[in-house]
Amino acid sequence: MYLVASINTEVCAATSCKLCTQYCPEANTILYNNDAGKDQGLKYGSAYVSVDRCKGCAQCVWVCDNMAKHNAIKMEMIDQIGDQALTQNIIYGEKSTTAVLANPVPG
Amino acid sequence: MSLDYVKFTPGFDRFMPKEYRDMVEHGPFGKKTTVSQVGSFKEILEEHPMCAGCAMTLFIRLAMISFPNPEDTITVGTAGCGRLAISQAAIPFVYGNYGDQNGVASGLTRGLRLRFGDKPKDVVVMAGDGGMADIGFAQTLHSWFRKEKFTTIMLDNEVYGNTGGQESGMTNRNQVLKMAPLGKKFEKMDMLGMAKVAGCAYVATVVPNNPRRVENVIKKAVLIAREIGPTYIQAYTSCNIEYAIPIDKVMEDAKAVELDRYKFSEYVSEEAREYLADQYGYKEYMPKPAPALAKS
Repeated sequence: MYLVASINTEVCAATSCKLCTQYCPEANTILYNNDAGKDQGLKYGSAYVSVDRCKGCAQCVWVCDNMAKHNAIKMEMIDQIGDQALTQNIIYGEKSTTAVLANPVPG
Repeated sequence: MSLDYVKFTPGFDRFMPKEYRDMVEHGPFGKKTTVSQVGSFKEILEEHPMCAGCAMTLFIRLAMISFPNPEDTITVGTAGCGRLAISQAAIPFVYGNYGDQNGVASGLTRGLRLRFGDKPKDVVVMAGDGGMADIGFAQTLHSWFRKEKFTTIMLDNEVYGNTGGQESGMTNRNQVLKMAPLGKKFEKMDMLGMAKVAGCAYVATVVPNNPRRVENVIKKAVLIAREIGPTYIQAYTSCNIEYAIPIDKVMEDAKAVELDRYKFSEYVSEEAREYLADQYGYKEYMPKPAPALAKS
Protein backbone atom coordinates (compact mmCIF):
# COMPACT_ATOMS: atom_id res chain seq x y z
CA MET A 1 0.00 0.00 0.00
CA TYR A 2 1.07 3.60 -0.39
CA LEU A 3 0.48 7.06 1.01
CA VAL A 4 -1.92 9.61 -0.43
CA ALA A 5 -2.89 13.08 0.75
CA SER A 6 -5.99 13.37 2.87
CA ILE A 7 -7.62 16.73 3.59
CA ASN A 8 -9.51 17.42 6.81
CA THR A 9 -12.73 19.01 5.56
CA GLU A 10 -13.56 20.72 8.85
CA VAL A 11 -10.23 22.55 9.05
CA CYS A 12 -10.16 23.34 5.32
CA ALA A 13 -13.74 24.62 5.13
CA ALA A 14 -13.07 27.02 7.98
CA THR A 15 -10.35 28.87 6.05
CA SER A 16 -10.56 28.33 2.28
CA CYS A 17 -7.15 29.37 0.97
CA LYS A 18 -7.03 27.03 -2.07
CA LEU A 19 -3.23 27.06 -1.97
CA CYS A 20 -2.95 23.26 -2.18
CA THR A 21 -4.92 23.20 -5.44
CA GLN A 22 -2.50 25.73 -6.93
CA TYR A 23 0.69 23.99 -5.75
CA CYS A 24 -0.14 20.38 -6.62
CA PRO A 25 2.06 19.24 -9.55
CA GLU A 26 -0.61 16.86 -10.78
CA ALA A 27 -3.49 18.17 -12.88
CA ASN A 28 -7.05 17.85 -11.50
CA THR A 29 -5.88 15.98 -8.42
CA ILE A 30 -6.73 18.42 -5.63
CA LEU A 31 -10.14 19.79 -6.53
CA TYR A 32 -12.44 22.20 -4.78
CA ASN A 33 -16.03 21.73 -3.64
CA ASN A 34 -17.76 25.02 -2.77
CA ASP A 35 -20.47 23.23 -0.79
CA ALA A 36 -18.40 20.82 1.32
CA GLY A 37 -18.85 21.53 5.00
CA LYS A 38 -21.83 23.83 4.45
CA ASP A 39 -24.13 21.17 5.98
CA GLN A 40 -22.00 21.35 9.13
CA GLY A 41 -22.39 25.11 9.26
CA LEU A 42 -18.86 25.83 8.08
CA LYS A 43 -18.22 29.03 6.21
CA TYR A 44 -16.46 27.99 2.99
CA GLY A 45 -16.12 24.95 0.78
CA SER A 46 -13.26 22.50 1.03
CA ALA A 47 -10.54 21.03 -1.15
CA TYR A 48 -10.44 17.26 -1.61
CA VAL A 49 -8.08 14.78 -3.22
CA SER A 50 -8.84 12.59 -6.18
CA VAL A 51 -6.78 9.77 -4.69
CA ASP A 52 -6.29 7.71 -7.85
CA ARG A 53 -4.17 10.54 -9.27
CA CYS A 54 -2.22 11.38 -6.11
CA LYS A 55 1.46 10.36 -6.37
CA GLY A 56 2.05 10.98 -2.67
CA CYS A 57 4.69 13.71 -2.99
CA ALA A 58 3.30 15.61 0.03
CA GLN A 59 3.96 19.06 -1.43
CA CYS A 60 0.42 20.01 -0.44
CA VAL A 61 1.26 19.05 3.14
CA TRP A 62 4.26 21.41 3.14
CA VAL A 63 2.20 24.19 1.57
CA CYS A 64 -0.67 23.74 4.03
CA ASP A 65 1.63 23.52 7.07
CA ASN A 66 4.19 26.20 6.19
CA MET A 67 2.59 28.67 3.79
CA ALA A 68 -1.07 28.57 4.82
CA LYS A 69 -0.35 27.37 8.38
CA HIS A 70 -3.63 25.46 8.54
CA ASN A 71 -2.27 21.92 9.05
CA ALA A 72 -5.29 20.44 7.32
CA ILE A 73 -3.53 17.83 5.15
CA LYS A 74 -1.98 14.55 6.29
CA MET A 75 -0.49 11.64 4.37
CA GLU A 76 -2.37 8.41 4.97
CA MET A 77 -2.32 4.84 3.72
CA ILE A 78 -4.78 4.49 0.87
CA ASP A 79 -6.38 1.33 2.30
CA GLN A 80 -7.03 2.99 5.68
CA ILE A 81 -8.76 6.25 4.74
CA GLY A 82 -12.17 4.89 3.81
CA ASP A 83 -14.25 6.16 0.92
CA GLN A 84 -12.57 8.82 -1.20
CA ALA A 85 -13.04 10.81 -4.39
CA LEU A 86 -11.94 9.10 -7.60
CA THR A 87 -11.55 10.65 -11.06
CA GLN A 88 -14.39 8.56 -12.48
CA ASN A 89 -16.82 9.90 -9.86
CA ILE A 90 -16.12 13.63 -10.10
CA ILE A 91 -18.89 15.86 -11.36
CA TYR A 92 -17.86 19.24 -12.71
CA GLY A 93 -20.22 22.17 -12.20
CA GLU A 94 -20.12 25.80 -13.25
CA LYS A 95 -17.77 27.04 -10.54
CA SER A 96 -17.27 24.01 -8.35
CA THR A 97 -16.94 20.24 -8.39
CA THR A 98 -18.51 17.48 -6.36
CA ALA A 99 -17.45 13.88 -5.94
CA VAL A 100 -19.35 10.74 -5.13
CA LEU A 101 -17.13 8.94 -2.62
CA ALA A 102 -16.12 5.34 -3.22
CA ASN A 103 -13.70 2.77 -1.85
CA PRO A 104 -10.32 3.40 -3.54
CA VAL A 105 -9.09 -0.19 -3.06
CA PRO A 106 -12.09 -2.47 -3.69
CA GLY A 107 -11.76 -6.18 -3.14
CA MET B 1 -7.09 25.00 -34.68
CA SER B 2 -10.61 25.85 -33.81
CA LEU B 3 -13.02 24.96 -31.06
CA ASP B 4 -14.50 22.31 -33.37
CA TYR B 5 -11.61 19.95 -32.79
CA VAL B 6 -12.59 19.53 -29.16
CA LYS B 7 -16.26 18.86 -29.85
CA PHE B 8 -17.93 15.48 -30.12
CA THR B 9 -18.87 13.93 -33.41
CA PRO B 10 -22.67 13.67 -33.16
CA GLY B 11 -23.75 10.29 -31.81
CA PHE B 12 -20.32 9.36 -30.52
CA ASP B 13 -20.26 11.42 -27.32
CA ARG B 14 -21.51 8.56 -25.13
CA PHE B 15 -18.60 6.35 -26.22
CA MET B 16 -15.93 8.89 -25.25
CA PRO B 17 -13.93 8.45 -22.03
CA LYS B 18 -14.96 10.55 -19.04
CA GLU B 19 -11.81 12.69 -19.19
CA TYR B 20 -12.61 13.64 -22.78
CA ARG B 21 -16.22 14.46 -21.98
CA ASP B 22 -15.14 16.60 -19.02
CA MET B 23 -12.65 18.41 -21.25
CA VAL B 24 -15.31 19.29 -23.85
CA GLU B 25 -17.95 20.29 -21.32
CA HIS B 26 -15.88 21.81 -18.50
CA GLY B 27 -12.48 22.54 -20.02
CA PRO B 28 -10.92 25.98 -20.44
CA PHE B 29 -11.49 26.21 -24.21
CA GLY B 30 -13.22 29.42 -25.21
CA LYS B 31 -13.29 30.67 -21.62
CA LYS B 32 -11.00 32.85 -19.57
CA THR B 33 -9.66 30.66 -16.80
CA THR B 34 -7.18 31.80 -14.18
CA VAL B 35 -4.96 30.16 -11.60
CA SER B 36 -7.31 31.28 -8.83
CA GLN B 37 -10.13 29.18 -10.36
CA VAL B 38 -8.03 26.04 -10.42
CA GLY B 39 -9.71 23.01 -8.85
CA SER B 40 -13.09 23.90 -10.34
CA PHE B 41 -12.56 23.20 -14.05
CA LYS B 42 -11.03 20.42 -16.12
CA GLU B 43 -7.43 21.29 -16.94
CA ILE B 44 -5.85 20.71 -20.34
CA LEU B 45 -2.97 18.81 -18.74
CA GLU B 46 -3.76 15.17 -18.06
CA GLU B 47 -2.08 12.42 -16.06
CA HIS B 48 1.60 12.13 -16.95
CA PRO B 49 4.62 9.99 -16.04
CA MET B 50 6.75 12.73 -14.40
CA CYS B 51 8.28 12.01 -10.97
CA ALA B 52 6.24 12.66 -7.84
CA GLY B 53 6.65 16.20 -6.56
CA CYS B 54 8.49 17.48 -9.65
CA ALA B 55 8.64 21.28 -9.71
CA MET B 56 8.89 21.20 -13.50
CA THR B 57 5.50 19.53 -13.63
CA LEU B 58 4.05 22.21 -11.41
CA PHE B 59 5.43 24.90 -13.70
CA ILE B 60 4.09 23.16 -16.82
CA ARG B 61 0.69 22.78 -15.19
CA LEU B 62 0.58 26.47 -14.22
CA ALA B 63 1.78 27.48 -17.71
CA MET B 64 -0.96 25.44 -19.37
CA ILE B 65 -3.59 27.04 -17.13
CA SER B 66 -2.18 30.48 -17.98
CA PHE B 67 -2.22 30.30 -21.78
CA PRO B 68 -4.47 33.17 -22.89
CA ASN B 69 -6.12 31.13 -25.68
CA PRO B 70 -5.45 27.42 -25.10
CA GLU B 71 -7.61 26.46 -28.10
CA ASP B 72 -5.28 28.49 -30.36
CA THR B 73 -2.00 27.34 -28.84
CA ILE B 74 0.55 24.80 -30.08
CA THR B 75 3.40 23.68 -27.85
CA VAL B 76 6.78 22.64 -29.22
CA GLY B 77 9.24 20.62 -27.20
CA THR B 78 12.19 18.31 -27.48
CA ALA B 79 13.87 15.47 -25.62
CA GLY B 80 14.00 15.92 -21.86
CA CYS B 81 11.74 15.39 -18.90
CA GLY B 82 9.37 18.25 -19.74
CA ARG B 83 7.99 16.69 -22.89
CA LEU B 84 6.64 13.74 -20.86
CA ALA B 85 4.05 16.10 -19.37
CA ILE B 86 3.71 18.69 -22.17
CA SER B 87 2.69 15.95 -24.60
CA GLN B 88 -0.06 14.73 -22.23
CA ALA B 89 -2.29 17.74 -22.78
CA ALA B 90 -5.38 18.50 -24.82
CA ILE B 91 -3.53 20.93 -27.09
CA PRO B 92 -1.33 20.04 -30.07
CA PHE B 93 2.29 19.23 -29.24
CA VAL B 94 5.09 19.14 -31.80
CA TYR B 95 8.18 17.14 -30.90
CA GLY B 96 11.34 18.60 -32.43
CA ASN B 97 14.51 16.54 -32.78
CA TYR B 98 16.88 17.29 -29.95
CA GLY B 99 17.90 20.90 -30.22
CA ASP B 100 15.85 22.06 -33.19
CA GLN B 101 12.69 23.04 -31.30
CA ASN B 102 13.17 26.74 -32.01
CA GLY B 103 13.76 26.03 -35.69
CA VAL B 104 10.58 23.95 -35.85
CA ALA B 105 8.68 26.68 -34.01
CA SER B 106 9.95 29.32 -36.47
CA GLY B 107 8.54 27.44 -39.44
CA LEU B 108 5.35 26.64 -37.58
CA THR B 109 4.76 30.28 -36.62
CA ARG B 110 5.32 31.47 -40.19
CA GLY B 111 3.07 28.75 -41.58
CA LEU B 112 0.27 29.58 -39.15
CA ARG B 113 0.50 33.26 -40.08
CA LEU B 114 0.20 32.40 -43.77
CA ARG B 115 -2.73 30.09 -43.12
CA PHE B 116 -4.68 32.09 -40.56
CA GLY B 117 -3.59 35.66 -41.28
CA ASP B 118 -4.31 38.04 -38.47
CA LYS B 119 -6.09 35.52 -36.24
CA PRO B 120 -3.62 34.96 -33.40
CA LYS B 121 -2.20 31.44 -33.11
CA ASP B 122 0.26 31.11 -30.28
CA VAL B 123 3.33 28.92 -30.53
CA VAL B 124 5.04 28.18 -27.22
CA VAL B 125 8.36 26.35 -27.03
CA MET B 126 8.96 24.57 -23.73
CA ALA B 127 12.26 22.74 -23.46
CA GLY B 128 14.91 22.02 -20.88
CA ASP B 129 18.20 23.77 -20.24
CA GLY B 130 20.12 21.11 -22.18
CA GLY B 131 17.86 21.31 -25.21
CA MET B 132 17.96 25.07 -25.25
CA ALA B 133 21.32 26.27 -23.92
CA ASP B 134 23.56 23.39 -25.08
CA ILE B 135 22.33 21.28 -27.96
CA GLY B 136 19.74 23.73 -29.30
CA PHE B 137 21.79 26.83 -28.54
CA ALA B 138 22.41 27.89 -32.14
CA GLN B 139 18.79 27.48 -33.21
CA THR B 140 17.48 29.20 -30.11
CA LEU B 141 19.71 32.24 -30.54
CA HIS B 142 19.12 32.39 -34.29
CA SER B 143 15.37 32.39 -33.86
CA TRP B 144 15.72 35.37 -31.51
CA PHE B 145 18.03 37.26 -33.86
CA ARG B 146 15.56 36.62 -36.70
CA LYS B 147 12.82 38.09 -34.44
CA GLU B 148 10.57 35.06 -34.83
CA LYS B 149 7.30 35.76 -33.08
CA PHE B 150 6.82 32.98 -30.56
CA THR B 151 7.44 32.34 -26.88
CA THR B 152 10.44 30.36 -25.66
CA ILE B 153 10.28 28.91 -22.15
CA MET B 154 13.33 27.28 -20.62
CA LEU B 155 12.56 24.68 -17.94
CA ASP B 156 15.87 25.14 -16.16
CA ASN B 157 16.59 22.27 -13.78
CA GLU B 158 20.34 22.96 -14.03
CA VAL B 159 21.16 19.36 -15.01
CA TYR B 160 20.48 16.69 -17.63
CA GLY B 161 17.91 15.04 -15.40
CA ASN B 162 16.57 12.58 -17.96
CA THR B 163 19.90 10.85 -18.66
CA GLY B 164 21.40 10.43 -15.21
CA GLY B 165 22.78 13.77 -14.06
CA GLN B 166 25.33 15.23 -16.51
CA GLU B 167 26.23 18.92 -16.19
CA SER B 168 24.62 21.34 -18.61
CA GLY B 169 25.57 24.88 -19.57
CA MET B 170 23.03 26.10 -17.04
CA THR B 171 24.52 24.12 -14.12
CA ASN B 172 26.18 26.33 -11.52
CA ARG B 173 29.95 26.45 -11.20
CA ASN B 174 31.52 23.84 -8.87
CA GLN B 175 28.28 21.83 -8.74
CA VAL B 176 29.03 18.13 -8.27
CA LEU B 177 26.61 15.75 -9.96
CA LYS B 178 26.49 11.98 -10.50
CA MET B 179 28.02 12.33 -13.96
CA ALA B 180 30.12 15.40 -13.11
CA PRO B 181 32.11 14.09 -10.12
CA LEU B 182 34.80 16.79 -10.24
CA GLY B 183 32.30 19.63 -10.29
CA LYS B 184 31.49 21.96 -13.12
CA LYS B 185 34.41 24.08 -14.28
CA PHE B 186 32.71 27.15 -15.70
CA GLU B 187 29.94 29.57 -14.82
CA LYS B 188 26.22 29.18 -15.51
CA MET B 189 25.43 30.59 -18.94
CA ASP B 190 23.78 33.98 -18.98
CA MET B 191 20.87 33.17 -21.27
CA LEU B 192 18.92 36.17 -19.99
CA GLY B 193 21.66 38.53 -21.10
CA MET B 194 21.87 36.81 -24.46
CA ALA B 195 18.10 37.04 -24.93
CA LYS B 196 18.26 40.78 -24.37
CA VAL B 197 21.22 41.21 -26.72
CA ALA B 198 19.45 39.14 -29.37
CA GLY B 199 16.45 41.45 -29.19
CA CYS B 200 13.76 39.59 -27.26
CA ALA B 201 10.86 41.91 -26.50
CA TYR B 202 10.17 40.27 -23.14
CA VAL B 203 12.59 38.44 -20.87
CA ALA B 204 11.66 37.14 -17.42
CA THR B 205 12.89 34.77 -14.73
CA VAL B 206 10.38 33.00 -12.55
CA VAL B 207 10.19 30.28 -9.91
CA PRO B 208 7.02 28.18 -9.62
CA ASN B 209 6.51 28.91 -5.91
CA ASN B 210 4.38 31.90 -6.85
CA PRO B 211 1.55 30.62 -9.12
CA ARG B 212 -0.02 34.04 -9.76
CA ARG B 213 3.32 35.44 -10.87
CA VAL B 214 3.85 32.49 -13.22
CA GLU B 215 0.43 33.17 -14.71
CA ASN B 216 1.16 36.86 -15.16
CA VAL B 217 4.52 36.21 -16.82
CA ILE B 218 3.21 33.53 -19.21
CA LYS B 219 0.24 35.67 -20.29
CA LYS B 220 2.44 38.68 -21.02
CA ALA B 221 5.02 36.62 -22.92
CA VAL B 222 2.43 34.91 -25.13
CA LEU B 223 0.56 38.15 -25.87
CA ILE B 224 3.74 40.08 -26.74
CA ALA B 225 4.91 37.26 -29.04
CA ARG B 226 1.74 37.67 -31.13
CA GLU B 227 2.73 41.04 -32.53
CA ILE B 228 5.98 42.45 -31.21
CA GLY B 229 8.72 39.82 -31.27
CA PRO B 230 10.36 36.86 -29.55
CA THR B 231 9.83 36.44 -25.83
CA TYR B 232 11.85 34.36 -23.36
CA ILE B 233 11.01 33.00 -19.92
CA GLN B 234 13.58 31.20 -17.82
CA ALA B 235 11.96 29.16 -15.09
CA TYR B 236 13.78 27.42 -12.25
CA THR B 237 12.25 23.96 -12.07
CA SER B 238 14.39 21.88 -9.73
CA CYS B 239 15.19 18.23 -10.35
CA ASN B 240 14.47 16.61 -7.00
CA ILE B 241 16.04 13.32 -8.14
CA GLU B 242 19.46 14.53 -9.36
CA TYR B 243 19.77 17.21 -6.68
CA ALA B 244 18.41 14.84 -3.99
CA ILE B 245 15.75 17.21 -2.71
CA PRO B 246 13.19 15.42 -0.49
CA ILE B 247 9.90 15.57 -2.40
CA ASP B 248 8.03 17.40 0.33
CA LYS B 249 10.80 20.05 0.45
CA VAL B 250 10.68 21.00 -3.24
CA MET B 251 8.90 24.29 -2.59
CA GLU B 252 11.25 25.08 0.27
CA ASP B 253 14.17 24.61 -2.14
CA ALA B 254 12.44 26.78 -4.77
CA LYS B 255 12.06 29.54 -2.20
CA ALA B 256 15.72 29.27 -1.14
CA VAL B 257 16.95 29.32 -4.76
CA GLU B 258 14.68 32.27 -5.55
CA LEU B 259 16.29 34.24 -2.74
CA ASP B 260 19.78 33.08 -3.68
CA ARG B 261 20.17 33.27 -7.47
CA TYR B 262 16.76 33.26 -9.16
CA LYS B 263 15.20 36.53 -8.11
CA PHE B 264 12.19 37.54 -10.15
CA SER B 265 13.26 39.80 -12.98
CA GLU B 266 11.35 41.14 -15.92
CA TYR B 267 12.49 43.09 -18.96
CA VAL B 268 9.77 44.52 -21.21
CA SER B 269 10.78 46.52 -24.27
CA GLU B 270 9.27 49.96 -24.76
CA GLU B 271 7.30 48.77 -27.79
CA ALA B 272 5.94 45.79 -25.84
CA ARG B 273 4.85 48.04 -22.97
CA GLU B 274 2.85 50.24 -25.32
CA TYR B 275 1.35 47.19 -27.00
CA LEU B 276 0.22 45.60 -23.72
CA ALA B 277 -1.29 48.88 -22.54
CA ASP B 278 -3.07 49.67 -25.82
CA GLN B 279 -4.28 46.21 -26.83
CA TYR B 280 -4.84 44.43 -23.54
CA GLY B 281 -5.32 47.26 -21.04
CA TYR B 282 -2.34 46.51 -18.78
CA LYS B 283 -2.60 49.39 -16.34
CA GLU B 284 1.01 49.06 -15.16
CA TYR B 285 2.23 50.06 -18.64
CA MET B 286 -0.24 52.85 -19.30
CA PRO B 287 1.28 56.31 -19.47
CA LYS B 288 1.04 57.99 -16.14
CA PRO B 289 -1.25 61.03 -16.14
CA ALA B 290 0.53 64.34 -15.96
CA PRO B 291 0.64 65.61 -12.39
CA ALA B 292 -2.10 68.11 -11.67
CA LEU B 293 -0.89 71.65 -11.59
CA ALA B 294 -0.48 72.97 -8.11
CA LYS B 295 -3.13 75.46 -7.25
CA SER B 296 -1.62 78.87 -7.08
